[in-house]
Amino acid sequence: MSKRKRPDSNTPADALTEHEHIIYDVIRSKQDMGIWTRDMKRELQTNIPDNIVTKSLKSLQAKKLIKEVVNIQNKGRKHFMAVEFKPSKEISGGAWYVEGNLDTDFIKVVKDQCIKHINRLKVATLEGITDSIKRSGVFKDDLTKQQIEEIVRALVLDDEILEVKSNGSGEFANIPVGKICYKSMSRGSSGGGPKLQGLASVPCGVCPQINLCTPDGIISPKTCVYYTKWLDF
Amino acid sequence: MVAEYGVKYAVHIITNHFGDLVAKVCDCLLRRGPLTRQNIKRYTELSDEQVKNALLVLIQQNCVQAFSTEQPGTFGDAPKVNTQYAVLFDNILHRLRFAKFLTIVSQEFDKQCGELLQGLLEHGRLTLKQMFDRAKASQQEGNLVVLDSVREILLKLVTAHYVERCPAPEPLLMPTNEEENPARKRGPKSAKKNEESETIEQQVIAAAVPMEAMRFSVVTEMEFDDGGEGKEKSKNRMIPGEKRKHHFLESDDCGAGDEQTVLYRANFEEFIRHLRHKACIDNVRERLDDGAASVLSAMLEATRSAEKKVKTKNSVPLSLSSIYEEVIKSEAGRNMTLDHVRASLVQLGQPPFVKGSSDSYSIEFEKIIEIAQNDEVESIVLKRYGRDAYRIFRLLSKAGRLLETDKISDTTFVEKKDAPKVLYKLWKDGYLHMESFVISVLVPENNFTSMYFVKIWLLKKLVVAGARQSQFLLWKVNKHILWEHVLDEMFHAALNLSLRVACELDQEKELLNLPADKRTGALQDRYNRLRKVRILMESSQMKLDDSIMLFHDF
Ligand code: SF4
Repeated sequence: MSKRKRPDSNTPADALTEHEHIIYDVIRSKQDMGIWTRDMKRELQTNIPDNIVTKSLKSLQAKKLIKEVVNIQNKGRKHFMAVEFKPSKEISGGAWYVEGNLDTDFIKVVKDQCIKHINRLKVATLEGITDSIKRSGVFKDDLTKQQIEEIVRALVLDDEILEVKSNGSGEFANIPVGKICYKSMSRGSSGGGPKLQGLASVPCGVCPQINLCTPDGIISPKTCVYYTKWLDF
Repeated sequence: MVAEYGVKYAVHIITNHFGDLVAKVCDCLLRRGPLTRQNIKRYTELSDEQVKNALLVLIQQNCVQAFSTEQPGTFGDAPKVNTQYAVLFDNILHRLRFAKFLTIVSQEFDKQCGELLQGLLEHGRLTLKQMFDRAKASQQEGNLVVLDSVREILLKLVTAHYVERCPAPEPLLMPTNEEENPARKRGPKSAKKNEESETIEQQVIAAAVPMEAMRFSVVTEMEFDDGGEGKEKSKNRMIPGEKRKHHFLESDDCGAGDEQTVLYRANFEEFIRHLRHKACIDNVRERLDDGAASVLSAMLEATRSAEKKVKTKNSVPLSLSSIYEEVIKSEAGRNMTLDHVRASLVQLGQPPFVKGSSDSYSIEFEKIIEIAQNDEVESIVLKRYGRDAYRIFRLLSKAGRLLETDKISDTTFVEKKDAPKVLYKLWKDGYLHMESFVISVLVPENNFTSMYFVKIWLLKKLVVAGARQSQFLLWKVNKHILWEHVLDEMFHAALNLSLRVACELDQEKELLNLPADKRTGALQDRYNRLRKVRILMESSQMKLDDSIMLFHDF
């Protein structure tokens, strides 16, 4: 292994072996996407033995030139990135992820805040909600409008709030016609999903075995344990 | 074609009500479509007599409709007329709704109307004379039943369209909706054309139904004149003693409008329409409020007579003033101001339950029903697969197009590693449609950085030297297929529920036969439990049937 000094000794890439240099260049060229070690090996022009690659990666990490990041798409894979980049959304999963995991506690807090503010405002636009949350000062770092939008959309999917279009009159008087607004659910406090309807209210409606169940089969309504439990008064 | 469990459920109902032989014939017709008596005999391996009797029962109970088709004669022979029998699946299901139908009539009319309807539901079809005999048999002392009073009751129900004259016993099947000219002959070839849009059963029903004025008229002993059409007139025609001349529309309509020969039956269509309206009102009340429900209910009342079929998409338009007029007629709406009605209409405008434009408002039945159906399916997804699945399902259902796994997990806040599992489970159970999509990235020999994307749909992989492939999965809710699937699960669940009810009752047969004074201690506890079981199961049956109607009849 030949060690060769780089002419310019001021760069951080100073004092790198030739192999380390090649590897570093590949990783760095991927910017905020980083690269999976296997993909990297494929991209290396010269054939560097595996043990050297591993050693070089260790050394580059020690020199604080690269870092290992969690790739949300595939957490098992070793994924590297040059230190100066922040992992892109594709790699990190975005603002709602910490270290490759969904930050459920934080999401819950933001959701609750959004619901609270929508309930207070009755009908609100996205800007209205963002503003109202900002003024309340609950969060240390202000959330962007886009972050609020993502949460509000999820709340609509949760059936916790309603997405409606303003028609400019009544409760929408202050909102331009046609603008999308969010409304709290009028139906009681139950919120969060429909009431149990016909099929979902009987055992078969939620039964994982329904496709195997036949009138005279091994799984049959006559002997069904789900029913026995349901009818246990 | 009726779904698998639809057939099983219908056959189960018929077995319970009329026994195995009748059920066998019914099963054969449900699976094979309309058949001649000869063919029924062949497929069921029953004797001619047995088939005949089974058909008679089914026809009497309005579950089978006979019809004839004409085959052109060959080599100068006269055309041959074939009698076939079509099973009416819907009418079989209606048998479990009799209690609902009776409730409607007893709420709207008096007890006697309820009794008359009960007779019709029990016997399938009755003549005025038979209704009279039944009333006489059950009459209480000092309460003389006269023919005219029975006719009055019948007239009330017929005017409200809850009772109708029976259809023609064996109409000639017409290729198109040419009820107005039933005598025209058509070859079987042209009959084929219409089959895509209308099933044979639907065509048979359309061919058999009497004309509106005839369908909702009550015979008197006197001959009468068949002048104008319409139910207002037909009402007047009923006044006994007036001279009228009978006009024959169908060959079967007996001669002198005789109370002994003209058959009546319950008009299921009207009951279903009523239940559909009620479901719409309930739905709106749940989503909005009582005011909106009152306004919708008034609009339904005002437009009901213009509805031609049960599955109407939207109502005829109404003006604000005519809606208001109707609202204040009802008890619930009496206190509403014009402003309140206007505000309710605005409320109803989203998502459009009622569509309004420059003082004309019409009910969007389809939308109301669709939302109720969505709710039903979503509630199943929530209960069966959990909240993450619920959110994912709602996202896809609203999007109405293919979305990629990653995008789905981002939007719904479901962990990247969990989203594919949830999606896969939903797909496996038939709740989602999946397409796989492969992107090949060509990695060229030199380090040229351009990339080539090759799309290949549906697992057709392209082999490119040096290419890296990533597979993406796209998902979507295919409502059309899913709704059928859910309906079939409902039939399956209804069948299971019914079997289990029978089983529970059977186990406690002895207990049920015990006189009340012998039921003590533990026996009484068991009896109380059985009562609770029954109440829970029977109310669940009713609710489940509401859902079946939502997907099948509305
Ligand atoms: S009867 Fe029991 S096993 Fe069969 S589908 Fe219903 S709940 Fe499932």
